[in-house]
Formats: sequence, structure tokens, C-alpha cells
Amino acid sequence: MEHEATQLEKQHVHSVYENTAAYFSDLQTKAWPRVRNFLLEQKPGNLVVDIGCGTGKYLSVNSQVYNLGCDYCEGLIEIARKKGDEVLVCDNLNLPFRDQCFNAVISIGVIHHFSTKQRRIKAIKEMARILTPGGQIMIYVWAMEQKNRRFEKQDVFVPWNKALCSRRFSESNQSGDKGEFVHTAKGQDIHPAQLVISECSYQSSLQPETDSKHSHNMDRCLPRACCMKISEEENRFYSALGRSFRSWFFSRSLDESALRKQNDKMKHLKHEGVWANSTIPIQHSRHCSLDLGHRGALLNEQSLDDDDDVFVESLSLKKPHWSPATDVLKDLSLNGEHQSVAQSKGNKASFINGPVEDRDHICGCNKDGAGKSDASKFFKRTSTTDSTDSALDSAVSVGDQTDAVLDTKAFMRYYHVFREGELCSLVEENVPELQILSSCYDHGNWCIIAERRG
Amino acid sequence: MKLLTHNLLSSHVPGLRPGGGFPLRIELGHPSELPPEPLPNYEADEEFLRRLHHVLLEVEVLEGSLQCPDSGRRFPISRGVPNMLLTEDEA
Repeated sequence: MEHEATQLEKQHVHSVYENTAAYFSDLQTKAWPRVRNFLLEQKPGNLVVDIGCGTGKYLSVNSQVYNLGCDYCEGLIEIARKKGDEVLVCDNLNLPFRDQCFNAVISIGVIHHFSTKQRRIKAIKEMARILTPGGQIMIYVWAMEQKNRRFEKQDVFVPWNKALCSRRFSESNQSGDKGEFVHTAKGQDIHPAQLVISECSYQSSLQPETDSKHSHNMDRCLPRACCMKISEEENRFYSALGRSFRSWFFSRSLDESALRKQNDKMKHLKHEGVWANSTIPIQHSRHCSLDLGHRGALLNEQSLDDDDDVFVESLSLKKPHWSPATDVLKDLSLNGEHQSVAQSKGNKASFINGPVEDRDHICGCNKDGAGKSDASKFFKRTSTTDSTDSALDSAVSVGDQTDAVLDTKAFMRYYHVFREGELCSLVEENVPELQILSSCYDHGNWCIIAERRG
Repeated sequence: MKLLTHNLLSSHVPGLRPGGGFPLRIELGHPSELPPEPLPNYEADEEFLRRLHHVLLEVEVLEGSLQCPDSGRRFPISRGVPNMLLTEDEA
């Protein structure tokens, strides 16, 4: 199980962040107010560490304390380093710190990337270990219960849309020359799903981040794109891509599968009196929905039962799997194709508000397209939001379907979203060295503050 | 990597004796500018404190490595960033 867990995280957390790190440099991500306050309340001279600091957005909030950041992703750490932050690369599950040496720890949008309960516990225990008695930890995780909806399942894959974060695009737009993305959209009639993925080629031509020419304060302001004029066509394009956020890919948790496997084995024992044939049937490729062809199967095929659908394909050509998700998403109170991707002021209704980092990714495209472009029409069909059809009906017959499906799975980030009370229980039942001081719901996240017991 | 950070780091290679991972040995050619032991009443020694502050917070290791005292395992520091990840086999 550990192997599957690490493999899943490797492919759907670490490599996604590593591959997309270049785009994070220009994300003017907001620091969450509650987190800022937690940091600002620290005593001067305190030792504070941000475990999973990413590009280090919290490392300059309070200059009166010693701020250390660490992350698994070298790419993100490099960005933080360039900003002058004190950072290092390490693993949350095995922190290279001495016992009880920090006054405060923050873990913002991190442990929801661990794919099993045991790993999430281990991550929290490690963070508790490095806390001095009386020291406090703040943990933020993505909530299952969002403002107007909830995820149907707790283990999800979130597609990552580079176009929503592209600095290349915004820069070249400012200069009047359309970015590569827009060119592709207009010129070649390539559907957005492929656009999302053409990152592979796109990325190689991306220039390394230099000084921002933008006058806005990187830490405070909304993404740069919100400040530019965007043509109507691009708005529609953005809206369409935004909708693809809702094409969730659900997965059965690895915990569940392990449990089922165990039960199945027990059943075999009972009824047949012998161990079931230890070689488990090879999974059909359709089951292993994250098999990206050349990348190979996500999970070692031999370690999964044939009917153990850990991953449910959403855009697979097999209909039944997707229906539950479709129904759920139908219930969502989304406004149809005029749903803006944007974070308009005070807009908290957008689903995309959920995860800390994704919220920050959204560029501010405020205008809705007047009509339907081909692009948005396509996406209306393949996303399951307001369509009454199952996505699969519509997913058929768009040219090169298989490639599109495979491509949209590139850069899918894995999340285990937390139910209400789950984080608290996790700590109360498994991490006795921590005492929970407070917990709350904040913009689609469950948040707790706990103290290391003396 | 600042020296103060180094003070917080410990090798986490599995199988070490308790406390065997600290302190990591910094490998580079730079000689220390501090006396080996703090003098008594060092808190009042302005000059010492200044030098201590400088070494802890104003000197950074850019390239080098941190060596685990017990196992000898080296963790690289490059461009000022230590990489403390263990390989899958080690962990």
C-alpha cells in the first residue's frame, strides 16, 4: 500500500507541482488572512516553519520571526529562494528537524495531498514532533463541503489549467501580440482540452521568470490577468477552460481498496479454505484511468484486483461510471455557460474557491462571452456541469478522443478532501501530543489550530 | 542556508541512534570566525553577540553539503538550498 501511495503522490502531486512550478512564479497569490494573523501574532524572535511552503508566500508575512520554509518540490523552492527566503527541500513524512525546536508550524493546503489516512497522520505527527511544548500549529485542508456543493467523494483529481495562470499570455497580450494559447484557439480550432495539455511543448519555450514588470505587489494582488483587457473571445475561452475544472475525476481512496482487498482475501479463506490465487488479475487499462500511455500504469497492475476501480474515469467511453458524478454536478447551482471563472469581488460562490492554491490560480476574467464559441460549445459537452447528458454521451465523437482524454489527465492533482470534523478527529484520535485549540471553516477549507502539549 | 537553520537540522536517515543525526557536519572550506566555546557572560559581550548574530543570520552556505555524523550520508546544499530528501530505498 505504501508503494501505491507514494506512486500516486509522485505522479499526481509531486510531478504536477514540479512541472507547473514555472507558472507559480507569477501567481499573485493572496495570503489567507487567518494564516497571516496566526503568523503576525507570533512573538518576535520565534522560530516558525512553513511545511509545504511552495513559493514561500507566507515566509515574508512577519519579519520579526525567523521564517523557514520547506517543500518537496524543488521547482517551487527555487522560486522561494529567489525571493530571498530561507528554504529547503524535504519530505513532510520525514522532517529533517530536531525534536521540539519550533515555536510555530503552519501547514496550509498540504496534507490533503497525502493519499492515505496513515500518511496524513504521519505528516501531522512529524509536525507535532518538531514543535516545542506550548508551540502551535495551524493546518488548512480542502473541505469536502464547499459553499454551494460538496464533492461526491473524498478522493479527487483536479485538472490543472495552465492557461488560467499563464504569464506568457498576459505579457504578450499587453504588448498586443497574442500569446501562444490564444493563437492556437483561434487559428487551428484545436479544442481546449488539447490546449490545456500542450503545456509540454509550451513549457519548453517558457522563459524563466525575471523581474516582474508589473507594478502590483506580488503578494497581495489578484492575478495579473485581472488587470488586463481581455477580448471577448478570450473570455469565452477562459470560461470554457474554467468549466473544465469541474470535470472532476473521482477515485476510490487507497485506504478503501486496501480494506476491500483484505476482506476479499478473508472471504476466500473462509469459503475455499485456501489462499486465493495470489496473482491478482491484471487490470484492464480502462480501470487504470491514470495510465497515460507512455508514462505507464500509475499503479502496479499486479497489486490491484480486477474490480478494484481505484480510479473512475470521467471521460471514459464507458458510461456508467460517470453518472454519479454527473448527477452531483447537475445539482450544483452553477449558472450555465455564463458562469464566470473569475473571482469577482467578494465572489465566494465559485466552486473554484475551494482549495487554497486553486483559488489563487484563477485569473480575473470578468466578462462573460456574449455567444458561444466553438470552444465553449465543446466544453459544454464534455463537462458535466449543467448538461443534462452524461458527459460520456457528449464525449464521444470529438476527433481524437483518446488523446484528448489522456491529455486532460496530465497534471491532475490528487486531493483527499476532508469532511467536517474529520481533521479534528484525525488529530484527537491519533496525535495525542496535540491539543486542538480551535477549528473553523474558512473559504472552502477546514482549519485547525492546535498546541503541543507540555 | 543560514547557520541558524543548520542548528535546527538533524539527519533523519533511518536506524541512527537517538541524537545521532545532530549536528550535521557542514563541509566547505570556510573557517569559523567564532571561538569554540561561548565565553562566560556572553550575553553582555556586545562584540561577541555581534559576531554571533553575523554568523548565525548573515552568513549563508551556498554550495556544500551536510554530513550525517552517524551514517556519513551527505545531504547536498546547492544555490543555498539544502536537499534533505531521502531516496525511496533509504526511507
